[in-house]
This record gives sequence, C-alpha cells and structure tokens, in this order.
Amino acid sequence: MNYPVWELAMGGGALIAVVSILHVFVSHFAVGGGLWLVVTESVARRRRDAQLLDVVRAHSRFFLLLTLVFGAITGVGIWFTIALVSPSAVSALIHAYLWGWAIEWTFFVIEIAAAMVYWYGWDRLDRRVHLVVGWIYFVAAWASLAVINGIVTFMLTPGEWLENRSFWAGFFNPTYFPSLTARTALALGQAGLFALITATALPRTTARAWCVRWNAAWVLAALLLGSAAGIWYRGVFPGWSDAVLGAIPILPLVARWLVVGVAAMILLALWPLLLPARWNRLGAALLATAGLLVFAAGEWTREAGRKPYTIHGYLYSTGLRVEQEEHLVADGVAAHTKWLDPRARPAENPAAFGGELYRNHCACCHTRDGYNGLRPWLAHWDDATVRNLLPRLQHVRGLMPAWHGTPAETEALAAHLRTMRSAAAAMPTAPAAAAREAWRVSCGLCHTTDGFRPLRESLSGLSRAELSALLDTLHELTDAMPPYAAAPAQRQRLLDQLVALAAAPAVAPVGAAPGGDAR
Amino acid sequence: MNPTPIVPTPDALPLPAPAALLHVLLLLTFTLHLVAMNALVGGAVLALWLRGRAGAVRGAADVAGRIGKALPVCVAATVTLGVAPLLFLQALHGRFFFAASVIMAWPWFSLIPLLIVAYYGAYLESFRGARLAGWRAPLLAATAAIFALIALIQVNNATLLLRPDRWPTLYFGNPRGANWNLGDPQVVPRWLHALSGAVAIGGLLLALWGKARRGSDPEGARLMRRVGLGALGWLTMANVAVGLWFLLALERDVLRRFMGGSGHATGLLALGVVSALALIALAARARRRDQASLTPVTVVAALTMIVMVLTRDFARQTQLAEHVGSLPVAVATQSVNIALFALLLVAAIAIVWWMVRRLARAGR
Repeated sequence: MNYPVWELAMGGGALIAVVSILHVFVSHFAVGGGLWLVVTESVARRRRDAQLLDVVRAHSRFFLLLTLVFGAITGVGIWFTIALVSPSAVSALIHAYLWGWAIEWTFFVIEIAAAMVYWYGWDRLDRRVHLVVGWIYFVAAWASLAVINGIVTFMLTPGEWLENRSFWAGFFNPTYFPSLTARTALALGQAGLFALITATALPRTTARAWCVRWNAAWVLAALLLGSAAGIWYRGVFPGWSDAVLGAIPILPLVARWLVVGVAAMILLALWPLLLPARWNRLGAALLATAGLLVFAAGEWTREAGRKPYTIHGYLYSTGLRVEQEEHLVADGVAAHTKWLDPRARPAENPAAFGGELYRNHCACCHTRDGYNGLRPWLAHWDDATVRNLLPRLQHVRGLMPAWHGTPAETEALAAHLRTMRSAAAAMPTAPAAAAREAWRVSCGLCHTTDGFRPLRESLSGLSRAELSALLDTLHELTDAMPPYAAAPAQRQRLLDQLVALAAAPAVAPVGAAPGGDAR
Repeated sequence: MNPTPIVPTPDALPLPAPAALLHVLLLLTFTLHLVAMNALVGGAVLALWLRGRAGAVRGAADVAGRIGKALPVCVAATVTLGVAPLLFLQALHGRFFFAASVIMAWPWFSLIPLLIVAYYGAYLESFRGARLAGWRAPLLAATAAIFALIALIQVNNATLLLRPDRWPTLYFGNPRGANWNLGDPQVVPRWLHALSGAVAIGGLLLALWGKARRGSDPEGARLMRRVGLGALGWLTMANVAVGLWFLLALERDVLRRFMGGSGHATGLLALGVVSALALIALAARARRRDQASLTPVTVVAALTMIVMVLTRDFARQTQLAEHVGSLPVAVATQSVNIALFALLLVAAIAIVWWMVRRLARAGR
C-alpha cells in the first residue's frame, strides 16, 4: 500500500518467526537469569560456599556472552525485521508508542551497563555493591520487559485505544497483566533452564548437586506460575474459542504443541530435581528443545491470534488501515497502491499488472511454495474457483483481509495466480484420501466438520442426490459462499466425503471425523 | 521506467511530540552514538596498527591488548547509543527510512548477523586474545572489517533515504531487496569520511585514556598519547581531502547552499573546515610536547564533531525538503510521557554513573 513490499521467498512471516523466537528465548533468560545470578550469589555468600560462588561466576560469564550479544542484538534484529516486513505497523507503533520505546531504552541503558559492571566487578567491587549492581540489573531488565510487553500486547488487544487513542489505555490493555505474568514466569523458567544447561559442564561437587536441584525448582515453579497465567491469558484472548475450534487452521495444532512442550518440560525438570547426580547433557538438550517448543508455540499463538491484523482492529497485515477500507471499496485497490511498477500496464499485460497487485496485497503474508505458500492450493483450483474466491477472502479460515479489487483488478490478479500454478495437482489414488483432499480444498477452506463453522449437523441425513443439488446452489445460500466449480472427478470425491459426513454420527467437537479438518 | 519519485504518505497517527524536540533528541543521541562508534572503530584500527608495530615499538603489544580488552564495552555503548537516534529518526523521517530500508532489505537485514559476529569477535579478542597467538591480528582485522562493512550499510541507507528519485528504478529492478545505493556518488566519500573521522577521534580518546593512566603506567601512557594524537592529526588531514570529495559529490542544489547559497550552511561548513585545520595544528603541537594539555585539542575536536553533525543534518533537511511537502504534520504531544522519559533518563544516567564510578574506584 504505502510502502514497498520486500519479496522474500521464505516469507516475511517466517523470517520474523525465526528472529523473534530465537530472541525471546534468550531475552527472557536475560531477565530471569539476572534474578538467578543475584539470588544465587546471595545464597552462596550467606553460606560462605566458595564452590557455589564459582558456579555463579562461571554462569555469569555465559550469561554476559549470550544475553548481551545474541540477546540484545537479536532484539534490535526484531525491530529491523518487522520494519522490513510490516513498515506500516512499525510506523504506527513508533507514532503511538515512541515514548514507550524511549522509556524502555532508558532501562536498556541501565541493563547493559549493570550487566557489564556486574561481570567486571566480580573481583573488584565489594560484596554488597556487587549484589546491589546485580539487583539494579534485574530490576532494569524486568522493567524493560514490562514496557515492551505493553507494546506487544497492544498489537493483539488495543482495547480502548481504538476509540480514544490514549497511550495508557492501549498500554494497559486487556492482555497486559496476564501476558506480563506469563512472561515473568517464562523468564524465571529460562533462568533455571539455562543454569541447568551450564551445570552439565560443572565438576561433580556438592555445589553442582545443590545447584542442579535449585535450577530444577526454578523451572518447575515457573511452569506452575506460567500455566496459571496462560489460563488467565486465554480468558482474555480475542476469539480464543473460535481459534480452538479451527478458525485459524494451524492454531489448534500449535496450541497442542504448547501443552506438549509444557508437559515435557515439567517431566524433564523432575529428573534434575529427583536425580541431580544423574543430570546430564542429554537431559539439558531435551529440556532446551522443549523450552524452545514452548516459546515457538506461545509466540506463534499470539501472532496467529492477531490475524488478519498487525494492530488488531486498526491495521491489517497488508498495511491497510481499517478506516481506509471504504476508499478501496469505492475506488479499487490500485488507486490506493503506491508501489505499482508503471511498466506493468493493466490493459496490455493483465498478468503482469496482477503480479504487481499480488506483491502489494498478497506477498506480505504469502509465498509461492514456502510459508503460507499458494501454489499447493492453486494446483487444485481452476480459474473460475480463483475468481470466485478472491472477493470472499474475508470468509476463509485463517482469517484474511477482504480483497477490494474492481472486477478488472480481480481478473488481473487471477491471471497472475494462473501464472503461478505449475500443473493441476493429482488427487490421491486411495478413495478416502481423495475424498478428504477434495473437502480440504473446497468446503474445508471455510468450514470444519464439527469445530469452527461446523457442517456435519446441517448436512446430517442428506442423500447423495440432495448433496449434489446443494453443491449446485451454494451461491444462492449467501453471498459469502462461492459457486462450486470444481472438475467432475473432484466433485465426485467431494460428494463421497459429504455423504460419509451426512451419514456419520457427531463426534467430539474438534477432530477426527471423516474429513474432520479442524486443523 | 518511471522517473517520478514515490514518497509514502505521512503516518495517519500524529507525532507524539513537537518535531523540534524529536530533532534535538535525534542530533543529541546521534552525536553520543558517534563518540562510542569512534571509540570502537578507531580503537579496533589502532589496536591492529599497534599489533603490526609490536616488533618495532616497545609497549605496542601491551597497548593493543589493552584496547582489545575494552572493545566489547565500546560495542555495547555504540549499540545502546545507536538505538535512540534510530528511534527518533523513524519518528521524524520514518516514511523515507522504511522505504529505503525495504529497497535494500538484504544488506540492511544482514547488519544484524554481521553485528553479532563482530561483537563476538570483540569478546574473543578481549577474553581470549592472548591465547589466539598468530590468529589474533587476523581476528582483529576481520572484526574491524565487519564494523567497516556495517558502517557502509548504514551509509547506504542514510543516503538512499534521501533519494526517492532513485527508488523506483532500484525497487522495480529488484523487489527482492538485493539493492545497494552505490550508484550514488555520495556513498563512498561519505563512508570514508566517517571511517577516517572515527579513527581520528578514536586516537584522541586513546590519548585521553593514556592521560588517565599516567600514574600507573607512564611508558604505556606516553605511547597511547603519541599514537593517539598521531592518528588524530594525520587522519584529520586525510579527512580534509575526503571531505572535499564528499562536498563535491553532494547534489548540486545542496552544494550551492554550502557554497554561499545559504549563510547558515556556508557558515557551518567554514566553521567545520577551520576547526578541522585547528585540530590538525593542535594535535601536532600536543604530540610534540609531552606536557601540553589535551584540553584545547579535546574542545576543538568536540566542536568539530558537533559542526559535522549539524552540517550533515543540514544536508539531509535540504535534500528531503522537496519531498516532505508543505502540509503541517499533526502533533499530539504526550507531555506526561515525555516528562516520564526525561525523569527516567536522568535516573539512568545517575545510576550508570554511580555503578561505573564504583567500579573505577575499586579498580585503583
């Protein structure tokens, strides 16, 4: 729209995911690890335990090298990445939350300085001052998290900001406190997790055994607190019940990963708690993998929950503001798209012009074959299906912004999508698999069998002939339904699936009924 | 090809502070970032040079090692002080900055992994330098080269954001973000100007560091002063020539303003040239006389830097003026948040000051 779109084969969303998951995994350690250092140092000094103090010192070096370099720079990296992928969103955030970021920067300055003084002060500062510096570090790091949390949660649930544009209304938004609690818990968990990793390199002393159990306790306590915060967070998450039922196809699976990751972490953390002497690198690697899974799933859930917006209710992921939408409805999209290559003239080369529209309005979320790849879908759709789907995109599962192209623009975009299609996809040879596939690429785009917009109940008892007649008149039901225009063979497979569905009794809401695509 | 520049429209949300305040904060924090960057780049280059002279100059390896130990602190300061000006730049000139960044997306994104690698390089030199034996100088050279490359990327973006007229050709030629702005004649001289300035100011900082170490290590302190002031003088001299090249590479309209078209611009440039020449003379004088105070050369160097920052800013404002448009920018000042920021900034400075002072005292 207003900014050029970076054509990225892997997809901008995938790049953001890679950078941000790696960053949050370390940055939460940067917060919780600070508390771990100062508390464990206090314990070691109180107990006059030189071995334990050596453990803390060695860990603080690892902490410094990981958080100050990788953690801090990938944090800047997220800022760079989102500005490249969603410049309109960053611009809006900079205008609304400039002073939030500036305030966060003051904490960042303290944090970086304190981390260095803490490390370089081990042999130079007196004990009391060293501990004070450790506390300064932790408070600044947590305050930095608390500020960033306000901006990140604002994007998901801007709350009253949408009406009053008040900085603090958007900052202390409905998900602010549950998210802050969850992130604080995750930070404490990361402190224990990383200390469990470095503990595997320690000589087998009593200090190591104590430390391993101590770290396991941090992880377990954090998981308990984090789980409670997660339940709280779920209660205020917009559209959570729809999401669970499959409004966003991938989300139920990701939510399951989250639960699996947390459960795995709990089980793995019992190992160092109960058998500290046997804690080893395999356990550390498994625990780190489970932790990464939890972070990946958690962040993915939050990002997916925001669809189709980057700032919920204000800015779509295409860079279109909600309030601009009426202008697109009136004028079409090209009139409001700045970065159209003038060489691609619509009258002379509609497909090339469609390519420009695609880059500006689709490529911010979709790739050809990678993340959110379109080619696998296009292989199943003919031109008529594509043309019918484009004006109804806002109804598909996965939550997309509406396409407001004029008929000519829609034709051009469809012409471009045709050039992306390599060959018609072969349907699976097994009848049941072919039936499921026929469902997935048609009804399954918007419906599930028993979850989100369920079809089973409304189809129950219909015969094949009735179902066939229904397919012919779908577009008469509502404007949201496109006419069904698949090839005869695919139509027969879809009817197989619908017949099975109409005949099968209802099952649990989400899941594995014939054609049960509640992914 | 469409020669018409494409300029994004201003953000629909109002600026959260008067532009003048953001402008002052941008210039202030950018100057601080420059000082830290100069310590880093100048330090790395001078450490490398000293390492090369280790066989011929007594104490050179020690001083190189001492600089190497301090490099991670310089990186941390450079990055931390770089965040703030980038923030204020995005608030003031975001629509130019974001568009330019996307057009050169890959080079711009690569700055992050490059910075991580170079930062670890600095830590390796600092923590393990003595154990690297023959690898030490190549590692330091690679680290310095990456920082120079990062500077080149920054200069590419800083110049590309000024040239919306170049955007359509570059972007529609390669929307995959694999663009540089090397076709702009400003880029190379501007980059060299920044790098040689960094080594010059890095030299002054080394001399000042030497002064602080006079009591504990008189011989090392003398070397630091000699090498530092030498770098300051010679590289400032080189920078006068590079500066002339840079000046002539400016767009005609901007150049015209610096050449008498605008009293303000011409005055700034004249002041910059005079202070640079004074800096060369003062550096040579202080280098010849061991006991000479470093205060005059420091004051003139600070003045030169400030003048350079203002000159750079004037050139940017002039180049952007034709694209900014005459419509007033909406402002909704968030006074409470500005006050909170100011308060926290003062607190942060006080806390950092206290911690560093405790550490410095404890080290004596």
